[in-house]
Amino acid sequence: MSAVLAAPRDYSSLRNLLWWLPRAVILGALAFVIFGPLFNMLVWTVAERWYFPHTLPIDYGFSYWGRVFAPRGNALQSLVASISIALFTVAGSLALAIPAGYALARLKLPLRGLVLLAFLLPQAFPNLPVYVNIARLFYEIGLNGTVLGVVLVHVTHGLVYAVWIASAAFSAVDRDLELAARNLGASGLKAFADVTLPLAAPGLMASAIFVFLESLDEFTGSYFVGAPDVTTLPLLLYSAGAGGNYQIASITALLLLVPSIAFMLVVEKFLRADVLAKVGQ
Amino acid sequence: MNKLLLNSTVALAILASPAAAAELTVITAGDQNMVDYINDYLAPLFEQQNPGNTVRAVGTGPGDAGSQKILERFDAQAKADAATWDTDVAIVHEKFAGPMVQAGYLEAYRDKIATGKLVTRANADNALGTDVKGYVMPMFNSQTAVAYNPALVPNPPKSYAEIAEWAKAHPGQFGYNGIKGGASGVSFVMGWVYAFSGSDAQKLMYGPFDKAEEAKWDDAFAGLKEFTKSATLTPGNAGTLDLLSRGEIALGPVWVDMFYSWQADGRLPPELKLVLPAPGMPGQPMHYVIPAKAPNKDLAEKFVELATSPKVQAEGIVKKFNWYPGIDADEVKAELDDATWNKLFVDITPADLAEKGKPFPLAPYNTAILEAYEAKVAN
Amino acid sequence: MARFLGPLLVSPALIIILLLFMLPLAASVIGAFEVEGAYGLGNFTKAYDFYTQDIVFTAVIVGLSALLTGLLAIAIGGYLTLGENPTAVAILRWLYRWPMFIPFIVVGQILRTFLAKSGLLNSTLIALGLIDPLSATSYLDWRGVVIAFVWKQTPFVALMVAGAMASLDRGTIEAARNLGASRLRILVEIIVPQVTTTLLVGLVLSFVTMMGVLSVPLMINAQAPTMITADIAFRLSTYRDYGVANALGLISLAISGVAAWFYLRVNMRQSR
Repeated sequence: MSAVLAAPRDYSSLRNLLWWLPRAVILGALAFVIFGPLFNMLVWTVAERWYFPHTLPIDYGFSYWGRVFAPRGNALQSLVASISIALFTVAGSLALAIPAGYALARLKLPLRGLVLLAFLLPQAFPNLPVYVNIARLFYEIGLNGTVLGVVLVHVTHGLVYAVWIASAAFSAVDRDLELAARNLGASGLKAFADVTLPLAAPGLMASAIFVFLESLDEFTGSYFVGAPDVTTLPLLLYSAGAGGNYQIASITALLLLVPSIAFMLVVEKFLRADVLAKVGQ
Repeated sequence: MNKLLLNSTVALAILASPAAAAELTVITAGDQNMVDYINDYLAPLFEQQNPGNTVRAVGTGPGDAGSQKILERFDAQAKADAATWDTDVAIVHEKFAGPMVQAGYLEAYRDKIATGKLVTRANADNALGTDVKGYVMPMFNSQTAVAYNPALVPNPPKSYAEIAEWAKAHPGQFGYNGIKGGASGVSFVMGWVYAFSGSDAQKLMYGPFDKAEEAKWDDAFAGLKEFTKSATLTPGNAGTLDLLSRGEIALGPVWVDMFYSWQADGRLPPELKLVLPAPGMPGQPMHYVIPAKAPNKDLAEKFVELATSPKVQAEGIVKKFNWYPGIDADEVKAELDDATWNKLFVDITPADLAEKGKPFPLAPYNTAILEAYEAKVAN
Repeated sequence: MARFLGPLLVSPALIIILLLFMLPLAASVIGAFEVEGAYGLGNFTKAYDFYTQDIVFTAVIVGLSALLTGLLAIAIGGYLTLGENPTAVAILRWLYRWPMFIPFIVVGQILRTFLAKSGLLNSTLIALGLIDPLSATSYLDWRGVVIAFVWKQTPFVALMVAGAMASLDRGTIEAARNLGASRLRILVEIIVPQVTTTLLVGLVLSFVTMMGVLSVPLMINAQAPTMITADIAFRLSTYRDYGVANALGLISLAISGVAAWFYLRVNMRQSR
């Protein structure tokens, strides 16, 4: 009996080995496509001189790093500004999205689809003309050039992720647990705070990731509302990139990746499949 | 007695005020090298001469978009009726000086500073058809030209007609950045219109504006459309230089100063050269302006005065950043040794510049040409 | 009380959207119909005359990107769900998420160097002998934009789709597998139909996001034809022409509206 089973096992392990051929090719190609551009960026950060017909840089060195981190280079200051704005944006969005998400997931709401859609709108209209108008509004109420102003703009832009994912997170929570808590005599608010919120927390963290990334990425609004008082990294990156200074742009891009990747490593375990499956529904 | 005391306190306060620490906000359009110029050179010098004060430089991005953003900020602050604005000194493209003066946003300061009388070029009095005399100080003058790789093109075309012919024979080898990615492409298009349209180039450059001229451009744009088919379109001023440095194109219009700076930085092969094709290509100044509601107006004037002094123009503008000076050339030349001065004129001689360095067309022609390009070449 | 609780809880977030987006947007919409002090359609006819090609280009590019994103997301999600080799599944799971965490502006910058004629992509292909040096071309045109969009958006959609796939009932899949159905057939006939809602939501979100991105077209391809966002930027910065810029914004919104309509339809069907 056992001998009969053993033969197919050998056969299957051979088959498995052969299957690694296409697997390795496809996964290798995927890895190249994903990490190739990042690697190219890394090469640029240490390239001192690089021109035709050289496939690789002629000299390597860190002189451009010195320029980026020069006291006047603004890089570190912008990095701190970018990160703090992103964190404030996350806090603000979550504060708005938790009640809204709960209502969308659990409560009776007229025109629910339209409400969800309303949050999508700031993503859907090209921002440039709108930010020109917002800047005017902010000048009148003294919000222009303040961190709060930039945060508000980023919150508006990021709410779609916050609200949609928060709503998915709440609807993924088992309703019976909530009812059980209520039956045991907990008030509605207590049941929410003790049962629903902790259970939805991983999903809410997931929404935080996307809001954080949106905020780090945002450029147009930051410029119109923030500069010159608030300078963020994308602003530096854009002007270096557009000026063709690939070394400075690549170093700035690398800097911008640091908070993104760090944030990802911290919260990635919260990206739960069952929650994400319900986003926007 | 009391009054005397009060008076002397006031006097003291006034005396002391320039020394009070102020942060001067300098906002500049243009490529990264503009921000670098202030951060690496001008700001440290200014801070050294005016202890306690600091300079903060903010770049708003290349091309017209950068200047537009500055104008946008001024518009917003004017509309909001802000008592003081957030900018002390702005550096803008020639094209935006006119609208800013017309809107009444600027301070007329040229006569108040010592270097005001060193300005001799007409483009500081009149910016593309608008009288801006007194409101602007030119930071530098720049020029576009065609860069080429002698290894690939031993005998470069010397005129627009020859360029057209050459590009046809070498498809994909001529690159320019259209009109949406910075002014070197725009400049090439303007030069094309000067060369091939039925309009008199003098009229396009110096006026008067006449809408009927537009009808005379059809052939030029038909030719440009044909030409663009055999050209490579590059992403931006820097994109053209980048493709030249990677050998992907052999010929393309660039800003002369960027070209030299890139070469000095090791980002362009040292062999590349420049040619200014006949009948000529445009160049333009960048202007220092001071908003009428600048928070530190006195300090701002001092800053511009320093920036336009012969020494700074020689050391910073010519020697370090390879621009043509904004103030009178003779004043600047006196501050430099011949070798440094001549470095500016290796490929393009002063005679070339005098003959083939043109201004951009008047603002209304400028707009009409760009729109015609969009409608007839790009669409 | 309970009837009002829902709207009450949603209202703070909605008010933010209303004040900081709808209101400025309204000014833009009005601006789109303003032609030299009077109201009319002049800005739209001008947008049509000048930018038809770019409008079509934008719709096609973004549509194509969404389509490719969807296909790749299904492939990745499918392999994560049906893959039989735990090691390969684990590698893929670790690998595919990375681009999601890279901001668009960085994507534009890194792909600009990667896809250039002498970028790392071509030099690798040449080194592997897959193409010869003379036929290497730059991908920095419409292809570059599509590659950038797909590169950045696929992980997000794949993550959502894989999530939906993972929460499906394994029973049907196992049953079909036991009956000898191929994995591809199970994916296409059993799994994908059950995750269409999630897939569509992900694609709508991606579509709308891609319509609004300015940094990628500016960095990779700001030439003719280009995307509507780049035209808006150009219209504002070169001509100070808010009218046509706003009109282009509305046209872009209308294209997004098609995606939003899909979304609403799916959403309505769901809640019934």
